[in-house]
Amino acid sequence: MSNHIKSILFAVVLSIVCGSLLTLASTGLREYQLRNIAFDKQKNILKSIGLIEDKKAPSLETVSGLYADHIKKMWIDFQGKLVPKEKKGENDLPVYLYVKQEKIQAYIIPVHSRGLWGKIAGYLAIANDGTTISGFTVYNHQETPGLGGEIEKRWFQKNFEDKKILDDNGNFVSITIAKGTVQGRIPTSRHKNFVDGISGASMTGKFLSAGLKRTLIEYEPLSERFRNNEIK
Amino acid sequence: MKIIRTKAFKVFFNPIWESNPISGQILGICSALAVTVQLKTAIVMGLALTFVLACSNLSISLMRKVIPRNIRIIVELTIIATLVIFADQVLKAFLYDISKQLSVFVGLIITNCIILARAETYALGNPPLLSLLDGIGNGLGYSQILITVAVLRELFGAGKLFGFQVIPNAFYAAGYENMGFMVLAPGAFIAIGLIVWLQKTVSRK
Repeated sequence: MSNHIKSILFAVVLSIVCGSLLTLASTGLREYQLRNIAFDKQKNILKSIGLIEDKKAPSLETVSGLYADHIKKMWIDFQGKLVPKEKKGENDLPVYLYVKQEKIQAYIIPVHSRGLWGKIAGYLAIANDGTTISGFTVYNHQETPGLGGEIEKRWFQKNFEDKKILDDNGNFVSITIAKGTVQGRIPTSRHKNFVDGISGASMTGKFLSAGLKRTLIEYEPLSERFRNNEIK
Repeated sequence: MKIIRTKAFKVFFNPIWESNPISGQILGICSALAVTVQLKTAIVMGLALTFVLACSNLSISLMRKVIPRNIRIIVELTIIATLVIFADQVLKAFLYDISKQLSVFVGLIITNCIILARAETYALGNPPLLSLLDGIGNGLGYSQILITVAVLRELFGAGKLFGFQVIPNAFYAAGYENMGFMVLAPGAFIAIGLIVWLQKTVSRK
C-alpha cells in the first residue's frame, strides 16, 4: 500500500515541477515568440503582393520599412465600404491595402480555412481590378509535411498568380484547387479559375478551396466595388 | 591509465561510431528521413535532440534511486516531454524560420526511440556523469549521421550547402542535373543504407 502512495506522491511532485518549468518557459519566451509571429505575418503580407522574394531572407528592418511604406490596414463594412480603425463596427472585416504612389494596387485579405489536421491561415492578394489574384501565401498550418504541407511551398502558391475569381461571363466562381493537375481535367475556358492540386493531399485541397470560397464571398462586396472602379 | 581506456571515454565515443544509434542500432530513422533535405535543419534538429537526450539522461540518472519502478516509463516520458516542449519553445522564440521548417519533428523528438532507449537501458542504472556523457555521445552520433545524410542530399539534390550554390554553373551548362530523387524520402533511405553498409564493413575488422 505504501508503495502505491509513494508512486502517486512522486507523480504529483513531478507533474508540479514539470508544469511550473513549462509555464515559466512559455511566459518568459512569449514576448519573443509574439514578435516573431508579427514579423512573419508582415513578411507574408509583403510576400503575397510580391514585394519580397521568397528565396532571400529579408531583415527585420527591410520588412517593417516596406510594411510601413506600402501597407495600410483598414476594415470593410457589410456594404464593402472601407472604414478606418476608429469607425470600425463589430462585424467589420479586416483588409490590408497595398498602396503605391498613392494608388491602391491590390488588396490583401486574410484567409482562415479548415485543413485536414488543423486550421490553415494565409493571405490572398487581389489586384485592384477586383478579379485577378496577385498572390497567395500560407503562414500557419498543421498539414502533413511533404503532402498537404506543400501548401506553404512556393511552387504551389505561385500557381495562384494571375488566376481569376470570375468566369468568362463575369460571374463569381472563386478559385478552386483541382484534384491533380488542371491540364486535361478542367475545360480550357475555366483554367483561369483553377490551380494545380497536390498529389496525395486532395483533402487539404478540398478544405482550402472551401475556405477560400467562403472568405471570398465575405469580401465580395469589396471586390465588386473594386470591379466597378468605386475605389481608387 | 590512458584516457582511451577509461570508461567515460568509451561511454562517450562508442555511440558516435561503433554503436551509433542510427547506423548501429537503427533507431530514430523517421526523423532522420524527414529533416535531412537541408543541412541547416539537420544541424538544428541534431542540436535539439542532443540537448534533450543529455538533459533527460542526466535528470533520470539523478533520480534513478527514487523513481518508483511501477511508473518509471511514465516518469521518463514526462521528463522527456517537458524537455522537448522547452526546446520547441526556445526554437520558436529565437529560430522561428527553422522551427517552422522543422514543424512537427521537434515535437516528435518525444517519440524518438533513441531517447527512451537511453533512459531505460543506461540512465536508470548508471551514475549521473556517465549518463550525461552517454546522452551527449548518442546525441552527437545521431547528429553526425543526420549531417552526413543532409550534406549528401542537399549537395546532390539541390547543388547547394547551407542554401548556397556549391556546384558551379559550368557543370549545369555541361549537362549536369540535380538528382531530384535525393530530395525525396527514398533518397534518404538509400543514403542511410549506404552509411550502415560502410559502418558495418569498417567496424568488422
